[in-house]
Amino acid sequence: MNGTASTTSSPYLGKTLMANFPQPENVNAAQWRAVSAPGGRLLIIAGPGTGKTHTLTYRIFCRLKDLALPQKFCVITFTNKAAGEIKERVRSLCGEEKAGRQLTVGTFHSFCWQILNEHAQDAGLPAQLQCAAPPDIAEMAKAIWPQTTAAQRKNILALVSSWKSCSYTAPVPDEVVVYNRELRQRGFLDFDDLLLETLILLRKNPVLLREIQNGYPEIFVDEYQDINPVQHDLLKLLVGNSGGITAIGDPNQAIYGFRGSDTRFFESFSGDFPGAQVMTLQENYRSGKNILSASSQVIEKNPDCQVPALTAQMYVDGRLTIYEAATDKAEAEYVVHNIEKFVGGTSMFSHDSGRVDSHAEGEWSFGDIAVLCRLKAQMRLLVKAFEQLGIPSHVSGQEVSEEAEGLDFICPSRYDDITLDVEKVTLMTLHASKGLEFPVVFIVGCEECLLPLHWEKMVSDREEERRLFYVGMTRAKERLFLTRARKRVLFGKTYQPRISPFLTDIEDSLKDYEEAILRSKKRKKEDEQMSLF
Amino acid sequence: MKYYADFHIHSHFSRATSKELNLEHLFVWAQIKGIQVVSTGDFVHPGWLKELREKLVPAEDGLYRLRPDLAKPMQSRVPPACQGEVRFILSAEISNIYKRMDKVRKVHNVILAPNLSVAEAVQGRLDEIGNIRSDGRPILGLDSRNLLEIVLESDPLSFLVPAHIWTPWFSALGSKGGFDRIEDCFADLTPEIFAVETGLSSDPPMNWRLSQLDPFVMVSCSDAHSPAKLGRESTILETDLSYPAMYKALKDRSDKGLIGTVEFYPEEGKYHYDGHRQCRQRLHPRQTIANKGLCPECGKPVTVGVMARVEELADHPDGRKSPNAREYFSLIPLPEIISEARGVGVNSKAVQTVFMEMLAKLGNEMAILQHIPVAEIQKVSGSVIAEGIRRMREGQVEIAAGYDGEYGKIKLFSEDERDSIDNQLTLFG
Repeated sequence: MNGTASTTSSPYLGKTLMANFPQPENVNAAQWRAVSAPGGRLLIIAGPGTGKTHTLTYRIFCRLKDLALPQKFCVITFTNKAAGEIKERVRSLCGEEKAGRQLTVGTFHSFCWQILNEHAQDAGLPAQLQCAAPPDIAEMAKAIWPQTTAAQRKNILALVSSWKSCSYTAPVPDEVVVYNRELRQRGFLDFDDLLLETLILLRKNPVLLREIQNGYPEIFVDEYQDINPVQHDLLKLLVGNSGGITAIGDPNQAIYGFRGSDTRFFESFSGDFPGAQVMTLQENYRSGKNILSASSQVIEKNPDCQVPALTAQMYVDGRLTIYEAATDKAEAEYVVHNIEKFVGGTSMFSHDSGRVDSHAEGEWSFGDIAVLCRLKAQMRLLVKAFEQLGIPSHVSGQEVSEEAEGLDFICPSRYDDITLDVEKVTLMTLHASKGLEFPVVFIVGCEECLLPLHWEKMVSDREEERRLFYVGMTRAKERLFLTRARKRVLFGKTYQPRISPFLTDIEDSLKDYEEAILRSKKRKKEDEQMSLF
Repeated sequence: MKYYADFHIHSHFSRATSKELNLEHLFVWAQIKGIQVVSTGDFVHPGWLKELREKLVPAEDGLYRLRPDLAKPMQSRVPPACQGEVRFILSAEISNIYKRMDKVRKVHNVILAPNLSVAEAVQGRLDEIGNIRSDGRPILGLDSRNLLEIVLESDPLSFLVPAHIWTPWFSALGSKGGFDRIEDCFADLTPEIFAVETGLSSDPPMNWRLSQLDPFVMVSCSDAHSPAKLGRESTILETDLSYPAMYKALKDRSDKGLIGTVEFYPEEGKYHYDGHRQCRQRLHPRQTIANKGLCPECGKPVTVGVMARVEELADHPDGRKSPNAREYFSLIPLPEIISEARGVGVNSKAVQTVFMEMLAKLGNEMAILQHIPVAEIQKVSGSVIAEGIRRMREGQVEIAAGYDGEYGKIKLFSEDERDSIDNQLTLFG
């Protein structure tokens, strides 16, 4: 794929649209090409730190300017947070009124929920739609399959969800039949149903489909690498032969394959939406060049990686530090002590005892620092280490969960935020870190078994794990620490993992090895003793 | 009544503090030191607040006393000449570390509460936003201004005092983690600040050189991390013995209740001069400037101390007096005077023995340092110590200033002098 792919104009684009405002200063040339690209069909490949949301919002703004009332644009995001951000940014560009009147921004689920609510009868659904929350489902599953263990039910539910979102064209498994019968009896839809039922409704009701297509002449989709087959089919249906679509995302950051997301849809985009252009944003405005080079070296080893490497635009070089701790506990202490140093000491004691030398200048505060790990199980030791030193930290659980996002639009008050703005070190899983950035990032547990995850029954797709690691690395702006323990206790078992193979993909000249201080002191002492004899 | 108050100390729940920092020992040491109103410290810590609830009983409005059954057995450890009433006032210190205007700010603030339920309410608010359990002086990523807001919302009589405002690392005006103006730190809520703590390394005259500090009164506290350091700096008041009266004396400029402060010689503080402790480089601010702010030994920037920082922010020359100025008395802890007079270490047995002897025969340390006539002291302590106290009262003190975390070193006598002053007389009566 590359940015100069030629275009044949799609039917929707009988009228060629050129930029209707001058290139703003904060939009670079490649971004501007995407923002102002004529034609309603465009795929933008936007790597980490290339200004994805920025470009998308400017493009929405650009297209919005020419839109005739009463039509609207539909912008689909994967989280409500992203929806809020895009809404806010477009609003600041074109004013509240226009943005409010001509823009529908939300998740796939909220969009489908709205359609189903308005056309429940056509869909053969009860007028008072109810969406089952996870506890409802769990309780129901227990009633349907009383003989099973919780783990078994979890597997069955995963199978049901997978069929509904990925393989609904395959024969219906018995479990789905039983499950759906019970679910409907209880007057519920589940979250996967919102999408699937909408798809079925629109397929059998061309008049309604046309009505919606006319109401939304263009669709914008964020995080395109995360869409699953049912979402893909829905988009194809909604865009139809004449609609416009702008999709943006990064196949190198696809980390939800286990939930049915499929990066194939990147490759099939031009086929799915004839006449589409593909453009790539390559200028990274986030990471120092050493960090960016190291991340590129990791992702390039992915046999599917076809996106050209990013170029660093930041002035800082960035620094990548590798640290090997004797144990997982020592690893956690290393992380926390470094954070104390970065903040320039957090107590008088740390200065007076010389634990932080007096040259240490506090450049960063707690909010600038994130500690990322593969599994939530790794967090316990880190939380403990933070508590011991009294450093403010919080475990961020904002992992993208469709259920949570689903609940959010049904009862939005749940996320009303009344907490004071307090800075803390962020502790989160690699999955949860997507879309965020921090001046200082630690990725702990860079070991085989964890990265890529391969722990007893937990086996994962190696290349998806690589992308996950890449996502983590590219969160860092100035300092990136990759740490590992030579001995780790996980789920009650002790093991001695080797270093993560991803680390060996990074050339040595980019790595700064930091030694365990205690070890080197001991070694020094031994050296001195040796010289005595 | 006239009394000495120490609003800022710590409990054994704070990091790097003595295990003896419990209410019983504070009760004993407050009497020995001559402090009548002593802070509980650390009320934000749940474990400590629980102890406060268990061991304190209400005394006058907003003040507490140690439960009588706990006080009684401890009283035998206080020399009868020192015995007196001790009241506790609720205070705590918060370490606020956060970013403001693109710079990391590290500011310590002392907060005071008028009673235990208000203290508990403040604790509850802070518990929601951070970890208050692993350190008696919790580190919160909370803006000082927002802490002040929480404090003000808790009760009309709750207040906040920016702690040791000149300390380089952790203070409102510090060279490393602070602001150039108090109002930059507390923004719109600045008018709610009415007192600032000078800290060990600065004394009132240094602070009077800044017009921006004119709206505030100076308070002094020990920030003690062990009971023996209690009252090394303190605040002198003359009011009814109650929290509201004290509050009014500090806040109301027409109130005459705030007499002044007891101060360290600022040179004795850990951050008076500039320098590098690890490189053993002690620099007068003039030398620092001559050296372009770099350490002559390692070439890295030195820790800029309080004197230089005051010079940087001051808009008046030496000798200017603030309209809100009160009296101040520069004292040296008695054990240090004894140590100087005898030429032995401050922690030595000999110093301890003389110190206890003097307390038993003369009264509490504050009285010895400030009020008891030298002639009377001489009868108990001998000529050299008495002469040392006289010199201290007169300000005839030589001090190698502290720098980069190293306390300053007092010099009251030269070697020859110590020998020439007859200390054979009357050492032990």
